[in-house]
Amino acid sequence: MAKNNKVLLVDDEADFREIMGSFLKRRKIAYETAGGCMEALDWLGQDHFNVVVMDVVMPGLDGLKCMAEMKKLQPELAIIILTGNASINTGVMSMKQGAFDFCMKPVDFEELLERIILAGEKSGLRATPQ
Amino acid sequence: MKKIFNYLKYIFSSTPPEEPLDPEELKVSFKRRYGNFRSLLTANNNALQAMAELEKIYYSGDSYRMATIRSKVTTILVNVYKMVRNLREMADGRYQDLETIFEQIGHDLVAILEQKPARHEGPFILPLAEIGRGQRSQTGEKMANLGEVAAIPGLMVPAGFVVTASATGHFLTTTLLDEINRRLQILDPDDLDRLFQTCEEIKKIVRESPLPRDLEELLHVHYGRLEKLTHAGVKVAMRSSAIGEDSAGVSFAGLYRSVLHIDKESLATAYKEVIAGKYGTKAVAYRRKRGYRHEDIEMCVGCMTMIDALVSGVTYSSDPSGDENETIRINAVSGLATSVVDGTRPTDLYLVSRVKPHTLVYSEIRQDRDNSANPHAAPSTLTYGQLKKLAETAMTLEQHFAAPQDIEWSFDHQGRLFILQSRSIPFHHRQIAEQPKEITDGGDGGEEPILFGGICASKGIVCGEVMRIDSVTQLQSFPQGAVLLVEHPLPEWAPLLGRAAALIAGHGSEAGHLATVAREFAIPALLNLPEALTTLGNGQTITVNAAARAIYSGCREDLLRAREVKKDIMAGSPVQRLVTETLQHITPLNLSDPASHQFKSKWCETLHDITRFCHEKSVTEMFNFGEKHHFHEGAAKRLVGKVPLEWWVIDLADGFQEGADVSGSTVRVEEIVSVPMQAIWRGISAFPWEGPPRVSMRGFGAIIFQSAMRPDLDPAVASNLTTKNYFLISKNFCNLSVRLGYHYAMIEAYLSDLLTENYVTFRFKGGAADMRRKAVRAKLLAEILESFDFRIELRSDALLARIKKRPRGFLEERLQILGYLTLHARQLDMVMDDPHMVERYKQKFLTDIAEMLARRDPLIQGEAGNGEEQQSVAG
Repeated sequence: MAKNNKVLLVDDEADFREIMGSFLKRRKIAYETAGGCMEALDWLGQDHFNVVVMDVVMPGLDGLKCMAEMKKLQPELAIIILTGNASINTGVMSMKQGAFDFCMKPVDFEELLERIILAGEKSGLRATPQ
Repeated sequence: MKKIFNYLKYIFSSTPPEEPLDPEELKVSFKRRYGNFRSLLTANNNALQAMAELEKIYYSGDSYRMATIRSKVTTILVNVYKMVRNLREMADGRYQDLETIFEQIGHDLVAILEQKPARHEGPFILPLAEIGRGQRSQTGEKMANLGEVAAIPGLMVPAGFVVTASATGHFLTTTLLDEINRRLQILDPDDLDRLFQTCEEIKKIVRESPLPRDLEELLHVHYGRLEKLTHAGVKVAMRSSAIGEDSAGVSFAGLYRSVLHIDKESLATAYKEVIAGKYGTKAVAYRRKRGYRHEDIEMCVGCMTMIDALVSGVTYSSDPSGDENETIRINAVSGLATSVVDGTRPTDLYLVSRVKPHTLVYSEIRQDRDNSANPHAAPSTLTYGQLKKLAETAMTLEQHFAAPQDIEWSFDHQGRLFILQSRSIPFHHRQIAEQPKEITDGGDGGEEPILFGGICASKGIVCGEVMRIDSVTQLQSFPQGAVLLVEHPLPEWAPLLGRAAALIAGHGSEAGHLATVAREFAIPALLNLPEALTTLGNGQTITVNAAARAIYSGCREDLLRAREVKKDIMAGSPVQRLVTETLQHITPLNLSDPASHQFKSKWCETLHDITRFCHEKSVTEMFNFGEKHHFHEGAAKRLVGKVPLEWWVIDLADGFQEGADVSGSTVRVEEIVSVPMQAIWRGISAFPWEGPPRVSMRGFGAIIFQSAMRPDLDPAVASNLTTKNYFLISKNFCNLSVRLGYHYAMIEAYLSDLLTENYVTFRFKGGAADMRRKAVRAKLLAEILESFDFRIELRSDALLARIKKRPRGFLEERLQILGYLTLHARQLDMVMDDPHMVERYKQKFLTDIAEMLARRDPLIQGEAGNGEEQQSVAG
């Protein structure tokens, strides 16, 4: 069964959610936003998403811990981790723990969009084997 | 390149294929591998690009900051990790040792890039009278020096104490610092507006953080002691004293805050203000420019009683702008010293002999020059007795610190001299006198200067367009390489000196902070030239010769030739040291030859080695899979039709037209649907191949010689396989290995609708003839490709040309060009001795390419060639 492509943006910076949201809107990509991990998990409990774009540094549960919780709810979810300032190992850690991809902030929107599309492809493939 | 052929040799002689899988399983399995292959190629390109950028930053001689380095390293690590993971998935879990090596390199990089300076443990406050050089890791350079001065008989410093680095660490908690560093790291280095905003926010965070109770009480205790030493309610000055600024040649002049006239109630506020000064715009910009991480600098605060100053100033024990270093230079102003160093007020200048009895050599009374009411009656601020006292003090301090000193001082109303600061003049500031003699007239018959005069604060000759700046809101618009024109040389303009070609100011003196910073950035500075404000206009091109105090109209090449080379302003900085170490783990390439016995995972030492290894092995794995399950002896299909030379095609996935009958040993050009291969083919078939060129006797001799030296290049002994040209294709991918004549070429491309994945890579190496002529050919190809936006790496005769993240149509044209060049470059084999012929070929190639790209209909079918040319190149 074909499911809609939907993106969830998770970032404690309201500015980023807003800019990123209006960018996705222009590209006609359905999305929801969450200001933190708990809100994101609420969204995942009530709707289906293909791709999550999430900052790794957030108050409360950080991006990596949050990712683990998300995977429990929707194992096929493709998660793109973003960071502005973190250890140089954060990228590799994210990948090891199952992130689909990793982007540095400030992010190039066009590039992120392509990664979202690739992530969507991947999660679509996983979601419907055969 | 060779690896493909070696590999093919290996494949074709290997054991028979395994038991075939169920077709459906095979399809799924192949699709998965192919997905891994695709991701690996993308990651390879991203990793290589980030490495190239990192090297470029490092070798540019420009400044860079730690955040940029960390971001590049993170990108490289992620992409190399992706490569390792994808390769291991493709190879059914083999290459475990790559992970181990990767982990080790990652670990080493973290150790280099994320080492934190040790926290200071010690008393929060130390009285000035108890400190010296030995305490400078607790008190900062400035206050440690002042402690030394206090102990020299006959010299006086104001009573005071230092709030130490331990106190700073107690106040600025790790959480607070993490937040501050996070804000600085996400800052775009070129966005000056944002820089101001962020610095303001950070300073606000510092100001609004509560001072720990114990620290605040200690401040009051020590202030009470100062009251006892002087009088109740004494006013104090709080001055910055930073740790970590000790590397040679870096002054950090005037970057931080001093807060004057503080009473007991505002002690805590003033303390926080000085600490916050570490994050002032100019300080942040300066550190970034000079290669200091914010954590390399720790701020301490000196607290000293205010001197009721009659006259104040700055003394250089050895005049930095003097030709013979025989004089002491003294700039003085009535009242407090701040206006000398701020550059806001004209100051009186005195040059005094360095030897006793310190006679006055020269003086210039500028202080009341602007006073139109009485322009001629300006009195000297300093008496001869005071000058003598200053000169003796300067020589004492120079002797004590064993280096020329830059001294800030005040005489109080009782005539007592107080030293407020004494520091060694950075070494290169003393070298000015050794520069070549400047041209002081109009030059070799050139035009006269349009402006003449002012004070030379930093020597040098440059040319640029004038840009006047009056307010900090204009900083953002200041272009790289412009001549900065300002009314007053305020420290606020310091962030621009990294971008400016020269500084011209209507006012100010050589003792100001901005003058110091200009000398440090080695940019010419001409100050105190009010006429410049009215004469020069925005956008006007001028040449500034600061030492000659002259400004010329236009760009004066004759003068510019005389200038010296700009220095590397990051040299010796902590950041540069870290990056040097970092690069050791990333960029050196030890695995260069895939045919070598050392081309093994365990020999990978750097991240570059890992990428090289993974890329080679991934191509092999794709091939391997096909060999095991699809390919057999007949898997490589010969291209048929009217095609020049002999070409073989191996389909990795969906590269042949659906429904095409490919059960035989041949495939027709029109049955191929690989987008990049089609594009390459359009280039190959665009013009008839003219065959090998005539051989001049000289060229022929060189080829015979080469062939004798390297049997593998000798057509007579080449095996059948090594003379074939292979296309490995899929719908979006193509890897073409060509061996035409004596040179190897490889074209690899991935084309899709996503820019992230798109790339074209071209490798070219070898060819007949000696090394010099090979290099000429590689250079010619490099020049042509560069004109078509390729990024070129050329080492001797080895050319690597890359282009990526461009739209599909654009890259198809590039592939066409590569197809054309690969086929026709061979004509260059024999003519490389003759520069005219080389140029003629270059022009011919460019004309052909232009004509080819102008054709609208794609010529898929090979129009060129004929029966006789369907031969192996060896023939």
